[in-house]
Amino acid sequence: MKYLVLQRQVPDVVEELVIADDRKALDEDEVMYITNELDDHALEQALLLKERHGGQVTVMSVGGTDARDALATAMAKGADRAVLVAVEREGHADNHQLAAYLTGFVREQDCDLILTGVQTVDELDGSLGGLLAHHLGMPYVGGLAAVELEAETTTVRKEYPGGLLAEMAVTSPAVLGIQSAEQPPRYVPISKVMQMKRTLEPQEFKESLPDVRGLAISGITMPEPAERAEMLGDDEEEVADRIVGLLRERGVV
Amino acid sequence: MVGSTPRTETGFADTTLDATQIFLQHVATLPEGQKIRNCIQCGTCTGICPHGYAMDFTPRKMIASLRAGRIDYIFRSDSLWLCVSCYQCSYRCPSGIALTERLIPSLREEILVRGGGVPGELQTAFERSSRYGNPFGESPRKRAAWTKGAGVEVPILKPGDSAEVLWFVECFPAYHQRNVEATQALARILDALGVDFGIMGRDERCSGDTRRLGGEEGLFELLCQHNLTELKTREFGEILVTDPHAYNALHNEYPQFGAAWKVRHYTQFLEDYLPRLKELMTQELNLTVTYHDPCYLGRRNGVYEPPRTLLKSIPGVKLVEMARNREDVLCCGGGGGGIWLDSFIWEHTRVPLPMQRIQEAARTGADVLAVACPLEVSRFEDAVKTAGLEGRLAVKEISLLVAEAIGLEGGGRQ
Repeated sequence: MKYLVLQRQVPDVVEELVIADDRKALDEDEVMYITNELDDHALEQALLLKERHGGQVTVMSVGGTDARDALATAMAKGADRAVLVAVEREGHADNHQLAAYLTGFVREQDCDLILTGVQTVDELDGSLGGLLAHHLGMPYVGGLAAVELEAETTTVRKEYPGGLLAEMAVTSPAVLGIQSAEQPPRYVPISKVMQMKRTLEPQEFKESLPDVRGLAISGITMPEPAERAEMLGDDEEEVADRIVGLLRERGVV
Repeated sequence: MVGSTPRTETGFADTTLDATQIFLQHVATLPEGQKIRNCIQCGTCTGICPHGYAMDFTPRKMIASLRAGRIDYIFRSDSLWLCVSCYQCSYRCPSGIALTERLIPSLREEILVRGGGVPGELQTAFERSSRYGNPFGESPRKRAAWTKGAGVEVPILKPGDSAEVLWFVECFPAYHQRNVEATQALARILDALGVDFGIMGRDERCSGDTRRLGGEEGLFELLCQHNLTELKTREFGEILVTDPHAYNALHNEYPQFGAAWKVRHYTQFLEDYLPRLKELMTQELNLTVTYHDPCYLGRRNGVYEPPRTLLKSIPGVKLVEMARNREDVLCCGGGGGGIWLDSFIWEHTRVPLPMQRIQEAARTGADVLAVACPLEVSRFEDAVKTAGLEGRLAVKEISLLVAEAIGLEGGGRQ
């Protein structure tokens, strides 16, 4: 089995986000990038499948220098092959463009399963997995919490709102959008990551970006503070009357 | 087929005998590491360990397993993660074996390298410390945010700047809501004493000590190298630390990597200013206070008296001792990664250590349990609430008590 994991670098929201002067992007001097959390779950799921069934895990990491570090971590965790996809920042969060860009390379890898996080914090134009599957002509299923391989098919468990779970069969090759791996992403000691950083020479994929656009950003603003919540006081009777009044006022009762 | 190397449940691809020997050879290369060979199997370590009763593999049995060539036995047990690095075993060991400093961290490191995993909360602390330089996952840029409420100027030393005293604040004092007040109090005291001091602000990272004892030696080295690089770009006469764990790292471990500075805990530092402090401390506190020796100030580093001297010099403070004090102190359970192993340890043990300890404090009749380690504040405060002692026993960092006696609660010198 051949597994391909797609990982993307996204803005780390631990830091306060600063909008650039043109008000169309984040300020590159202020933003810190981090591997998209759900993409780490995609890697974990691929490593679990490799441990159970054997096979080879290729990790493709999209982004700048942080993407190179993410590859070292992925390799230290047990991936077999690393591919760096250097993408200019402005094209990064545009999944229509990214999917079109990656399609040729991904097809050449001839993988059985392509796993990626079902979403990222910075995507605005739809999930990368679905768009990529469209270009590759493969089935796509997202929101997955478990993946199991069987003789001809792959069985996946998909989470629905309200605590519902569905089990589905997918024919390979397929693209899978991972919501959470079957276990939390594993820990790899820093000494192993540092060792990998020193020696890793990832394959690099860089071509000119296709002229495809999923969205055009007209402006970015900080959320405006909403009106403060109104506290209804301490007297139970009074509070109850106020609640009933408010519900009537809004036509709920 | 790639990836089909046979594995046992503990991740051993090689034989356990070889693995044990390689491990023992590695430990022998560490400072004091070769002493592990001197174990006489007396079991003192096991008897004194506050979690020994809950371990199926006690320190004594761990060494016996290593001698039998069965390191895998230790890795199949949960015992390794019950150690809170309180240093009792190392302190009492008649053969001087570095159990806390070398054996346990090396075994933890070995299990990490073998992919044996780590309890979830500790893993998160490792990951955050590696990425953000603090275990809370807070922004490194906000490391000096506490200074805003200090009420006095806290100079942030940039590379090339100098001060007589470089204050290494450390993570809990810089970020934790229950510690910031005491950190601000110390800033006011330093200001009132006219000390020429500065902090490194966002350039400081976690000292890494509890990460090292937690088994993440590589992470410790990463943090240590970062701090050394930053420290070397500033000029100062000595380092002042707020946290005994940082004291331990900077005093005992950083010198191996080239640090050669004088390091003092704030209680040692303030003791030198006692005559001036006595003049400044004009407010009578009228409190009975008992003092908890932090493991990494007391038992590990022999600093017992400066905190007591400070407390006794506060007007109106009567210092009473708990039955277990100084080298006999019962650990708060927060060290060696213990503060991120609480849920794990809870599942394996009976009465949590901080709960036992605050009962001892309450029995002295003290109004205040004075502490000198930031980890203890939240641990003991939580235990006080759980035990229903709220309103009867307050937990206070010594810096807060000193600041109160000077009249510095709300801001700088009036």
